[in-house]
This record gives sequence, structure tokens and C-alpha cells, in this order.
Amino acid sequence: MLITDVCVGCTRCVPYCPSGAIALGRDKKARIDRNKCIECAVCFNNANCPVNAIQLEDLKWPRSVREVFATVYKEHKDTNVPGRGTEEMKTNDVTGRFRPGEVGFSVDMGRPGVGVDLKDAEKVCMALAKGGVEFEPLNPLTFLMSDKKKCFFSDAAPTERVHSCIPEFKIKEDRFPEVLDALMKVAKEINTVFSLGLCVKVNPDGTVPIMKYLDDHKIYYRPDGKTNIGTGKPAAKF
Amino acid sequence: MTHTLHRSGTEKSLAVDYPILAIAAQGINSKDAAPQFKKALEIVLKHNPVNFGDMKTGNYFRKGLKTVLNSTRINSIVHGVFTNKKDLEECLKELRDADLGPSVVVSGLFSEVWDSLKRIGLKPHSLNVSLGVFGKKELLPEQGILDITTMCGHHCVSPLLVKKMISDIKRDKTCIEDAARELAKPCVCGVFNPLRAERLLEELLSKF
Repeated sequence: MLITDVCVGCTRCVPYCPSGAIALGRDKKARIDRNKCIECAVCFNNANCPVNAIQLEDLKWPRSVREVFATVYKEHKDTNVPGRGTEEMKTNDVTGRFRPGEVGFSVDMGRPGVGVDLKDAEKVCMALAKGGVEFEPLNPLTFLMSDKKKCFFSDAAPTERVHSCIPEFKIKEDRFPEVLDALMKVAKEINTVFSLGLCVKVNPDGTVPIMKYLDDHKIYYRPDGKTNIGTGKPAAKF
Repeated sequence: MTHTLHRSGTEKSLAVDYPILAIAAQGINSKDAAPQFKKALEIVLKHNPVNFGDMKTGNYFRKGLKTVLNSTRINSIVHGVFTNKKDLEECLKELRDADLGPSVVVSGLFSEVWDSLKRIGLKPHSLNVSLGVFGKKELLPEQGILDITTMCGHHCVSPLLVKKMISDIKRDKTCIEDAARELAKPCVCGVFNPLRAERLLEELLSKF
């Protein structure tokens, strides 16, 4: 994103920036802090700049990574899925991605609203990889990994900052405690936050195995979440 | 994409918040999905949504009804937001009977959503459960602000914009209803609930 010199300093764009990257400079014109800016274009799309001073840039690697992880309506070129993640449980009734006895994890790094340096995302992925976790191949973040076993990111990518990114993977249910433990440990080593989500298939009798585990071990989970209602066609066989 | 998973707030405030979405599995049932998404949106519109949109096009408040409705594609993800279980149930019943093909996901309090599903003869198939936020939580804005901004799971609604709206309401530059609509605009998918935002803004007026 750029704010050109035609800016009249009205400050209308300032509050729209989710990263707090826009401020008035000494010259009384709005300026973007390029380190903080995550190229989400929220200012461009919503602030209605009276003089069209906000401009989109043709971004080059590695800065283009910011746009990939920030622009909601753009799909990833290899998955055709818009956004920063995958279809995960949303299409599980059709894809059968999460089978009984499996738990899917989505580690929403930088959410809510903090942003994340990719070096922190790399740190989390490497910690999980040490425990043998294999990442969802269709996730845009996995495409950044030059070494998918050790989870090193492509050259230069770790220097970038993105709005959020989502390490995604699934494990057998019996590995849940060790993976959760690894996540809790690495959470203390990062300069951001993550929101943690779990994906599971509901048992035929209506019980949810992971919830029983969480209840038994007094692990907090929110009272609200997402429920796939199982009406997608063709139905996956379980 | 967990854009309606981590909506924070009290159970009381979440009891008026039921976003739904329809999504196709790319490469499985996506080929003919564009018209099915339009039909899904038409069904949503019959049941008093307070917001709706398509992740590929934008939300009602920015793009308008016709544009959202007529721009569906094979990789659309269409949404509607309901504020009560009656509208939610009627919409889900009609979506089920229409047998469109794309998957349907409902967000909200599990107890309430599952009660609604039971009432109309459906069962939960798969779940997405939030364990909350971890890491450097001191970087987060105030909880009351988060309860509003997390209604856009892609976090396109800025905490600064919430504070600006509170300031504008206090100075009679806008009203609560218009402020909630302005906050809904950056949320591309149309999953931001402006009615819930109005209630949360009212609470925040005394705190800022």
C-alpha cells in the first residue's frame, strides 16, 4: 500500500488500518509504516479517501507474501480456496478429511488482530515438526516451507510480517496431549498470539470424543464454535 | 479458514449470533456450484439475515444485494447471519430440503445450535472447537473491543475503528446503528453481526 503526496491529511484512513500502520507525518500527510503494514487493503477498500491518495502496489517477492495472507477474497493459486487456510472441517461431510479417531488442529497465528512475523510461524511449525507432525499440504503456509520435514521456510519469507497464517495438521487422537503440550511450550517463545482450533468428526451416537477429554482434563474450550450439519453431497463414506 | 470460530463474548451476547455458510469441496462438488450458491443466498435472504455476503465478492453493506447475489462462483463461500434460532431453523430447513450439494456450517453456541438441529431433524456431523487464545496476550486490545472485532474472523475490523465509532457516537457525529453498519463494511465475508455490535457498542459507551 502507498499513500501518495496528494494526501490532504484528513486522517479518515487512520482508524481503518487493522495493524495501526497509518499515522500523520510531520508534513501533515498520512504515511504508512511499511514494517507494520500487512497489505490487507482495508484502508483502500473502506476509507473512501476523498483524493484517492491510497494506492495499491504491484508487490514483489518476498513482500508479496503479505498480500497472500491478508487479502480475503483472493484464492490460493494451488488450492482455489480463498483466504488463508483450507476447507478443513467445513466440507468434512463431503471430503472425509477428518476421520473418527483423528483430531485436526488449526493454529491461527496472529489472531485476533495482532499480526505475526513469519519467523514466529516458522518457530511454531519447527516445534511441531520435531514431534513428527505433518502439515496440511494444501495450506498456503505449507507452500512456503522449503523443507517440509524440518519446516524451514523459503529464503527471505521469515523476514516478512503477515496479518495471520494458519499452521494446519491432523493427528491421531491419542497424540493430542503431547501436541497440545508442545504448542503450550512454544506459545511462551513467540512475540504474538495464536487462536487454537480443533476439528473432529462427531461419533454416530452424537458424542464428541475430544470434548470428553477436554472436560476430563479441565481444559477450557469456548461454548461457541462451528458445526457442519452434514447435508453436503456427495456424502463422504466414514 | 476459521473465520467464524473464535468469536469472543459472553454467552448472553453470543445468543444473538448465528452465522451460517455454504461451501463446496473444490474438485469434488464445486463444478456446478455457482448457481447453487446463488440459490443458497436466496434462501438465506428469506429469513431475515442481518448481514450476508460472499467471500469472493464482498458483503451486503459494501457491495449491495444484487452484486452479491449475481456474482457467485465455483469457489464462493456464501454467508448469512441470523440473530435468533427461529430464523436459523427455518433457513436450515429450507437449505436441507433444497439439497443443493455444498456443505453447510453453522456457527454459534453449541448448545443452542445443536438444539435447533435436533428440532429440525438434523445432527452435527463435524465440529470446529476453539480452545481460546495463547501466547503474548498482553498485545491484545481490551476484551470489549475484541468482542466486536472478532466478529470478522479475518480481522479486517480495526480496534481503532471501534474506538473511533465510540468517539463519534459520544460526539453525536453518528448513531449506534450507523456505527455498527460502518464496522460491518470491512468484513469482506459478511459474517459481522451489526445487531450484536450495536449492543456491544452500547456497553462500551460507558467504558471509554
